[in-house]
Amino acid sequence: MHRVAITGLGCISAVGHTAPEHWEALKNGRSGIQEVTLVPPDQLNARIAAEVKNYDPADHFETKRLSLLDRFTQFSLVAAREAIADAGLDFSGGLGAETAVLLATGVGGITTLDNSFARLYGEGHPRVHPLTVPKLMVSAAASHITMEFGITGPSFAVSSACSSANHAIGEGMWMVRTGRARAAVVGGAETCVTLGTLKGWESLRVMATDTCRPFSRGRRGMVIGEGAGLFVIERMDDARARGATIYAELAGYGLTADAGDIVFPSEEGAAGALAMALRDGGLAAEDVDYINAHGTGTTANDVTETRAIRRVFGDSADRLMVSSTKSMHGHGLGAAGALELVPTIMAIKDGVVPPTANFVEPDPDCDLDVVPNQARDVPVRAALSDSFAFGGLNAVVAVRAVD
Amino acid sequence: MTDIEGKIIGIVAKETRRGSEEISLDLKVEDIESLDLVQIIFAIEDEFQIYVPQDDEGFKLETLRDVVEGVQSLIAQKQASA
Repeated sequence: MHRVAITGLGCISAVGHTAPEHWEALKNGRSGIQEVTLVPPDQLNARIAAEVKNYDPADHFETKRLSLLDRFTQFSLVAAREAIADAGLDFSGGLGAETAVLLATGVGGITTLDNSFARLYGEGHPRVHPLTVPKLMVSAAASHITMEFGITGPSFAVSSACSSANHAIGEGMWMVRTGRARAAVVGGAETCVTLGTLKGWESLRVMATDTCRPFSRGRRGMVIGEGAGLFVIERMDDARARGATIYAELAGYGLTADAGDIVFPSEEGAAGALAMALRDGGLAAEDVDYINAHGTGTTANDVTETRAIRRVFGDSADRLMVSSTKSMHGHGLGAAGALELVPTIMAIKDGVVPPTANFVEPDPDCDLDVVPNQARDVPVRAALSDSFAFGGLNAVVAVRAVD
Repeated sequence: MTDIEGKIIGIVAKETRRGSEEISLDLKVEDIESLDLVQIIFAIEDEFQIYVPQDDEGFKLETLRDVVEGVQSLIAQKQASA
């Protein structure tokens, strides 16, 4: 078994086009939630989203290539380039064959699907674009990353709704841990700000119309976010031998299924994943200083998550800091765990815990220290990042400071 | 029973998989399963071509009777603004 180092970060989100920009905004409590621009707001009742702003595909890709790249694949490549450059890995000379790509997404190329079907059903065109299928497939982003970097090891897409990214990150960690891969590019991407998707979410009546206020009294629901987060992970021994910057150790991974409700979360399922992540990472409850919560801002999630954390952490729950950065980058769905692993890692690296923004007043049913509105300068030895998906598929990853 | 009452009871019966005769106007909204409830709201919006507000503090629905009255007032508002 090998210990696993995180040596490269890449991110594009509503609050930044790079991992350092994303982190800078989150630790300063800056929210990227605004009125939607990618679809006409007058067709929506919940008119806000955390969109990636000031993004011009031409800054990143040649025109010809863009006809193959859905927005979620573009974001995946932008973040993968940043993470791989940050890690300083070179995949020639054999490493490419020993490297894995596990790229998570909830729905993949939904922009392509939405546009194609609007043209077909709405506008009555008899044909759709010939590259529709290779653009919309959920594995497109994983494939393009392998092609751009010459990575030929085990590679596939991972999909489990809002837990997708954490499943990709955790499974990638196990590949490196067990030697199936020497390094891995892992993370998630989602670009769900399309009319069809937003209307679907709206009908479920879980969308906030003001903003996202996790754990706060007066919270009204979630806000959709988009973006991608990618990470380079590798054997700790390799990272040390080549003198790489090691952000933190990817130490543990817990995953369970509720086998319960298709939308309602279960305290037991969430607690099981939290406990397994601790066990897998060799961590005791008192070793963990921070949890980046799933914290969607819905009535149901935030109460259930609070109870699950209390059940697993016992007395230690009262000295834990638990914040939800979804209050700023929105709910990244299949990318959520990836957008949230950046602040989880950086909390350890920089000794700064990011806040839960938009917090108004405490809810007695969410009685944890949720770091309201203001970041905290405090050393973080180990941290967890939670994802509890629709359909009851739960995944929690544990990160630890390197000694 | 008014036409609106009858249609709403029919929708609730269908979505909760019960007979119309089992659905009383005293039925508490909080006793309806949440996934059934969002489908009931969707069906009501479709049937009456209205939008049922989500975050409106003045629109509190405790029983099915409140739902019927709420729908009547939304239909009246719609007709007034037409």
